[in-house]
Amino acid sequence: MERTPIDVADALARVGDDREFLKELLEIYDEDLTARVAGLREALAGNDLKAVEQLGHAIKGSSANLSLPFLRDRAAAIELAGKKGDAATALANLARLEKEFQKLRDHLRGNPL
Amino acid sequence: MKILVAEDDKVSLRILEKNISGWGFDVDLAGNGEEALRMLRGGDVRLAILDWMMPGMNGIEICRSVRQEGGPKYVYIIMLTSRDRGQDIVEGLEAGADDYMSKPVNFLELRARIQTGRRVVELEDKLLESNRMLKDLASRDNLTSLWNRANVFQFLEEDLIRGRRESRPVSAIMIDVDNFKRINDTHGHLAGDVVLIQIAKRLERGVRPYDKVGRYGGDEMLIVLPGCGFAEVTAIGERLRKSISGEKMRTPAGDCEVTVTLGCSSSELVPDATAETLVQASDAALYKGKSMGRDCVVVGV
Repeated sequence: MERTPIDVADALARVGDDREFLKELLEIYDEDLTARVAGLREALAGNDLKAVEQLGHAIKGSSANLSLPFLRDRAAAIELAGKKGDAATALANLARLEKEFQKLRDHLRGNPL
Repeated sequence: MKILVAEDDKVSLRILEKNISGWGFDVDLAGNGEEALRMLRGGDVRLAILDWMMPGMNGIEICRSVRQEGGPKYVYIIMLTSRDRGQDIVEGLEAGADDYMSKPVNFLELRARIQTGRRVVELEDKLLESNRMLKDLASRDNLTSLWNRANVFQFLEEDLIRGRRESRPVSAIMIDVDNFKRINDTHGHLAGDVVLIQIAKRLERGVRPYDKVGRYGGDEMLIVLPGCGFAEVTAIGERLRKSISGEKMRTPAGDCEVTVTLGCSSSELVPDATAETLVQASDAALYKGKSMGRDCVVVGV
């Protein structure tokens, strides 16, 4: 069985079982992550690893908030790579993060809240 | 109570806002550190929830600035940190944070911690209020609620300094109740007290809003009149005299006719006037008035 990108029960528990609110938050998250992914690409192109670390940290936080464990893990790896100054690892994890992001969108389309 | 939430992550910010406003608090939102500090300086925020990591100014820097600047009222600060950043906690508390929580936030816990913060802030407000009341109480005369001797004397000193700087005169009026001993002997001490209270009320009603009326001794009162010259002080003194003698005083021992004698002095008439010399000149005028037959206003030099 394929793993699900979001732990809906966990996320709902955090927002007081308010499905509408969780939907709103996922919309904010989608918009935000799109901008942050672009930001990460730009930071990596400019070799600004401090910004890579910060963006990774930010994505990690909001992913954890919405019970998105795989996106959270990728973001944590990007943050760490940024901190270590390892651009190659950051880039590899960014590609995987984008795949996870696509999986989340597909999943939510197929399984609306 | 108004709560400020500063967090650069839009998802977290929205979750925090929804929960905290759902608990009945007024929530202000800041998306970055600079904005948060600006809102904290605004003054009506009493509790702040600050994210540690924010681009620009981070939570710890905001915390330090707030504590350094002091501000009129204490702001209770809760810092949010990531679970994996244990060293942050010590640094955060050292920078002046009151509490910290790790993210993702457990909202039952956050609510409890906000309640704790609210208790601290309310306690602080009560303390400030009772300090203010005690200070006021200590500066007032118990019986008449007029300023006490030390305070009215201090007002005179301060007004003289200000008057010199602004080239404006300051006047002082010393007032003594005529035959106060006889009032006490005839009607009793309780009636004497009531007479003093009523005189205090009439004097306060008769002076300008920025004049200060103090109880200087047993039945002596001192009034400090900033920006008032000798011509004016005589007129005010006369008005005050009439306000006392013009209407009988009602006491538990029956109505009682009371008069006062007033000695006035002004910095215009006393060279290099100090609080001491001005009070002396008023005193001398007062005793002259007593020897002239009481119930009168005398201006001294």
